[in-house]
Amino acid sequence: MGSDDELAERLRDGDEKALRTAYDRHGSAVLYLAQRMLGNRADAEDVTQVTFVAAWAGRDTFDPQRGTMLGWLLGIARRKAVDRLRSAARDERVTETVRAQLAPPDDKETPERVVDRLVVADELGRLPDEQRRTLELAFFDDLTHPQIAAVTGLPLGTVKSHIRRGMAVLRRRWEVDGAASGSRSAGPSRAL
Amino acid sequence: MQHLDPDRLVLLALSEEQFDLDESDHLAQCAGCRYELDALRDVAEIGAEVQGMRDLPAPPERVWRAIEAEVTVASTRPLRSVSDSALRVPQGVERRKRAAWLKPVLAAAAAAVLAVAGTVTVTRLLDRPAAEQVTARATLSPLPAVNAAAGGSVRVLSDGVMRIDVRNLPLTTGFHEVWLIDPDDVTKMVALGTLPDAADVVLPVPPGTDLNRYRLVDVSDEPHDGDATHSGRSLLRGTLTY
Repeated sequence: MGSDDELAERLRDGDEKALRTAYDRHGSAVLYLAQRMLGNRADAEDVTQVTFVAAWAGRDTFDPQRGTMLGWLLGIARRKAVDRLRSAARDERVTETVRAQLAPPDDKETPERVVDRLVVADELGRLPDEQRRTLELAFFDDLTHPQIAAVTGLPLGTVKSHIRRGMAVLRRRWEVDGAASGSRSAGPSRAL
Repeated sequence: MQHLDPDRLVLLALSEEQFDLDESDHLAQCAGCRYELDALRDVAEIGAEVQGMRDLPAPPERVWRAIEAEVTVASTRPLRSVSDSALRVPQGVERRKRAAWLKPVLAAAAAAVLAVAGTVTVTRLLDRPAAEQVTARATLSPLPAVNAAAGGSVRVLSDGVMRIDVRNLPLTTGFHEVWLIDPDDVTKMVALGTLPDAADVVLPVPPGTDLNRYRLVDVSDEPHDGDATHSGRSLLRGTLTY
């Protein structure tokens, strides 16, 4: 798997295949975010399309130093989805629906939270298998360190260091790419 | 009391163990340890929510076709013999059913674009054995619904055979077949033969085949249904260049 740096370089060179690679890697996450924000599939697909077309047009503004390709694409997708909600809001007939969508009753379902989950899920998927499995047992199955050691057959010390280091990696990625980073690193690419 | 140990913070953040009194006192006074603990708790909380998010469904193929159409029309790259009208897809993902005849045209146009983009590299990279006179070549790219790692290359040799080299084709319960298609009228095609389970295959090109016309190389997935026509399930495509 080529790095974001390499992909960014190919994109900047106008290599359409690099756009396809970015789409293969991250299209599903973009669609997921759009669908969560817009609540309907057809609009979510439109926003996915518009996001990648905008990413292509603005490919010069992606800077791998400031975040990953996924974080960049999700930032564009969020803005495109918000645009879509606003233009829908201008249509009086749907104002009520939109209001309901803009203020989701469950604050776990904010766009920010969905972005956070997508980047953490992506980073989790990049961890070595054994470490990822250890974290999944802790997060998803709520197992304690000794239980994880028993289930996996790994020494307790290994479980401990997998979890501590794994969480540090996820945290770093979340701080760089999570929704909260958007306000911190406002810059040209945010103008897309 | 000194700062909390990193391993201890993890256990506390995962609620696997409870604070003792000293730790509670320290946390009440130490903003640094509180910050660390909060961050780890957030990570654990988000981590618990990502279950089931690993294999999110990919967008349908029409989304990519619409992206590609817009990107291609916008770019100034000259397209060899692909009519512009075939590429001009209205803005927005089309939800109306496209006329059936247009589908293969768009797919062919899309494939041609990929092939044009890919050919330059391959022409540069391919080692040409001295004995082999190559008259045409193509890079095979996966169609949007196919694993992006799939691909291949094609060389037409002066003695009228085609060397085809494919990789990472999706498994099939049927077989893979190679075709030469006329991109200007995709109902016209020549069946070259089936691909055995080998990397490098040589297939004869029927003598007299006009490779300027039938220049779109296509690898399809064919079911064992006794129907000799193209199944419509193309996996790889690429345009022959000279």
